Order: sequence, then structure tokens, then C-alpha cells
Amino acid sequence: MSQEPELVARRERPSPYSARPEPSNLADILERVLDKGIIIAGDIRVNLLDIELLTVKIRLLIVSVDKAAEMGIDWWKNDPMLSTSAQEVAEENRRLRERIEELESGAGEPGDE
Amino acid sequence: MSESGVYLYAVSRGLHADDVDGLVGLQGDPVRVLDGHGLSAVVGDVGLDEFGDEGLRRNLEDLAWLEQVARQHDAVVRGVARRGVLAPMRLATVFLNDDSVVERLGEWGSALQRALDRVEGRSEWSVKVYVSLEEIEAEGRAAAHSRPAGGGAGAAYLQRRRSQITQREDALGAASELGDSIYTRLAHSVAASRRLPPQDRRLTGHEGTMVLNAAYLVGHDDEATWTSTVDAIVAERPQARVELQGPWPPYSFATVEDV
Repeated sequence: MSQEPELVARRERPSPYSARPEPSNLADILERVLDKGIIIAGDIRVNLLDIELLTVKIRLLIVSVDKAAEMGIDWWKNDPMLSTSAQEVAEENRRLRERIEELESGAGEPGDE
Repeated sequence: MSESGVYLYAVSRGLHADDVDGLVGLQGDPVRVLDGHGLSAVVGDVGLDEFGDEGLRRNLEDLAWLEQVARQHDAVVRGVARRGVLAPMRLATVFLNDDSVVERLGEWGSALQRALDRVEGRSEWSVKVYVSLEEIEAEGRAAAHSRPAGGGAGAAYLQRRRSQITQREDALGAASELGDSIYTRLAHSVAASRRLPPQDRRLTGHEGTMVLNAAYLVGHDDEATWTSTVDAIVAERPQARVELQGPWPPYSFATVEDV
């Protein structure tokens, strides 16, 4: 069944869903929990669009530093190239936010306060 | 302690309270199950100082915080995936109280049920393909050398320069075709597949160039066939180094986007 195992690097097998909390590399986890997963607007409204923005920032980050471990807080703010892109993203973010508010004002109630 | 909110990790169905026994939430509290509208919400309590509007805005920009939350979110999702079908939520889906979560289950009920139907009995597998562009280029060079070069020294130089550039382009083309062909071959054998953007080696530390980063949705009963299909495809393509990982929770496939 598992002939020629040296051809394919396998991790996490044979036990399904390893009980260890960190079976995958950070890139694997971030691209799934930030970029995938079902979006249901919670009561905390900030999260959705900020996460869209964050996903883009993560992409920028990935091409801008050598190692995830070297990242600090505000990692893009001090880089003029990234800040410019981040501003464009923020602009797009604001347009999306307005659009969503528009849609929501037509649809269901936003829950309690 | 500030006001607390309710963090939604994933939605499942038919979960019992003891299915989440031992799962620890983002701030160390136990994970709970909320039932409503035929669905089970996997939730945990979080402080709104950290997970409220202000807190999230601040914390999402702190990569150490983000990494820790992402890993813990993933750990809870994996823990639940061992117990049954589930649809993971996007990171940081936060409600003010339990009632609000249940109300939202009602609003999204049929879409969530369809998402769960799509992934029930199936898991996500990651296939990454790496190549060495230098190796592919060297193969191209070896092939080019066997061709005779005409003309004088200047012409030969120009031809050499031109062919160096061509070889790099050819290598890139061959590498990307290799990724495409593996993706397509594997896609035919499974329920669903998605391509994700290739990861950068500066974050992952991998060697070579990643020409494919794909996710496949594979039935639990088809896993033996699946892995031998991957083995067969790998054996046909010695230039490719293939990394197969799984089974994972169906992050890339439990979606409501087509609703």
C-alpha cells in the first residue's frame, strides 16, 4: 500500500488529525484560517474586513521578510513600499465596508448591542 | 476581566457535550457546544478586551498574537474534526452572547447544512509540488549542446546568450506545466479540488520552487486509492518533489460562497 515512501514526503500519517496542535507550518495554517473558512458576520463587526485586509498584509509580509520568527509588531508600518500598498488596500477596504453596510441595511437585523 | 464574548470556531451537527471534552479555547477556557436549528456550534468564551472591536483591530496587527490565535483555532477545529463533520469558521468570528450565535445558526441554517453535506465523510489533503529550476535548466542545456552551432565566434556568443535566456524561460514554462499537469491529474480522481497561491520559501523554509499548492477533498473510504494515485503520478515525474499532507479538516471546501 505505502510502497516507495521516499518519493512522497508524508507528514501526519497514519494517525488522522494528529492530536498535536501544530502539525502544519504557519503558512499552511494562516492561509486556511485567514483565507478560508466560512464567513458569518459576528456581532463584533470589525473582524471581517480587517481580516480581508490582514490576508493581503500577510501576503505582503511573506515577500518582504526572511523569516516569520523575525517579525515584530507593526512589521509593515515602517516600510514605505508596504505602507503604500496597505493604503490602497485600506481604500478598497473602506469601499467594501460601505457596500456591506448597504447590503445589510437592506437585509437582516445586525443582532443586539 | 472585561466583558466576555463568544468565539465561534466551527459548526457541526449532532455533537454531544463530551465530544469537545479536553479541548481548550483561545484563552484557556473549555470549549462548549451550543445546539440550535439542527446544528451544533463549537464555541468558547473570550474577553472583549482582546476580541472586541478595539482589541481585534490592535491584535490582528501583532503577528505573535495572530500566530498563537491561528494555531489554537486550528487545534480546536482539528479536535472537533476527529468527532464528526464540521465547517470551520473564519478566524475571529465573535458574538456578544450564546443567543446571538444560535440566532445566526438559524439565519444561515440551510447554507451551513449544505456546506456540511459537501464535506461529510471527506477530508482535505494538501499536495505541494517543488522543482529545482536549475536542474530543469541544466537538462535544457544538455539538450541544446547536442545541437550544432553555425557561424563565427560572435554569432556563437550571441546564440549562447540568447539560449541562456531562453533556457530560463523554458525552465519556468516547464515547471509551471508540471504543476498544472499534476493538479489536473489528481483533480480527476477526487470530489473537489482548489489551487492555493504558492507559498514563499522565506516563510516556509522549503527548498526549490513551489509550482503547485493545492487542496483536494478526498472521501475517507478513498484514502488508499488516493495515496496510490499520488504515488503513481510522482513516479512518472522524477523532476518533481511532491509533499502530501493530510487528512486535514476541510478548510478549503466547507464554504457557503456559492449560495
